[in-house]
Amino acid sequence: MVKIKYLLMGILIAIVGIVVAVTVFPSEEKRVKKRFRLLSEWVSKSPEENPFTTLQKMKDIGELFFESCELKAPDESLSGSYTRQEISAYAGSARAHFFQLDFKFYDLHIVFPEKEVAKVALTARLIGKSTTGEQVDEIRELECFLKKTDKKWFFSEIEVIQVLKK
Amino acid sequence: MAVNRRIRQFFFPSLTPTFLIRVFLVSVFAYLFFGYLCTPFIIQGISMEPTYPNGGINFCWRLRYLLSEPKRHDVVAVRFAGSQIMLLKRVVAREGEQVEFRAGRLYVDGKEIEEPYVRFPCNWNLSPRRVEKECVYVVGDNRSMPIEGHHFGQTSKIRIVGAPLW
Repeated sequence: MVKIKYLLMGILIAIVGIVVAVTVFPSEEKRVKKRFRLLSEWVSKSPEENPFTTLQKMKDIGELFFESCELKAPDESLSGSYTRQEISAYAGSARAHFFQLDFKFYDLHIVFPEKEVAKVALTARLIGKSTTGEQVDEIRELECFLKKTDKKWFFSEIEVIQVLKK
Repeated sequence: MAVNRRIRQFFFPSLTPTFLIRVFLVSVFAYLFFGYLCTPFIIQGISMEPTYPNGGINFCWRLRYLLSEPKRHDVVAVRFAGSQIMLLKRVVAREGEQVEFRAGRLYVDGKEIEEPYVRFPCNWNLSPRRVEKECVYVVGDNRSMPIEGHHFGQTSKIRIVGAPLW
């Protein structure tokens, strides 16, 4: 009886240990997913958002990116290399056009082609209402590259996949 | 009395091992069949009207092009983003062919193509372009909107996931 009690306690401690280890030391995949979760949270906008939160989110969005991030889009005018400051400014300007925004990522497929490089294929969906009352619902397939520096992952390349080429 | 018992047995079956095995097998079959072979989808958008109206329900038969290639006038489901977002379009040209629109009429390799499924007036003009290798050219049936507002063009055959069941 005593033996069973110790056995059960041992199993319980092992389970708690595993849960703590997974929570305290997340895998690289979880760290990458967290960056997407933060980007989604900071791009999204509620109608009640105050100006201080807006400014903070603009700054935070820029900090998710590498010193220079490459954007590849079917629209050539958008393609190019952007600095963190430029990304913050563009994000702020784009968010200002919306009364409400909901930015979500789905179907994240993460691989690590090289050490400290993550390649993520995913679906991005943006649902919102512009300040002029226009409803927006856009879905795109993206391919992102993230680089790891100082134990943090930063977006270094984002490609909007062109499915139909006119 | 026997009929009553049979009805009761149908709606409130006894949880016998045979019944549970049957439920398990039916569930596995339904999951595989509707998840991977014949996936249900809801049509959102008007680009295939009047053939496929907005809000319609259909199934994507994923084995349609397992042993054959998409032909001209076939309606295909093109994977747009992730594993769940698809575009429903009609194939109008295959690899190596030259596509163009003149005053709303479709021309392939310089010959006008009859399109009985296009019911709404169309005034599109698109300069000739050749369909690349391993690609098909897809367009929606509803061409009443301006050409800039319609999702169409050439797409890789790899992205074709199947065809609607009806």
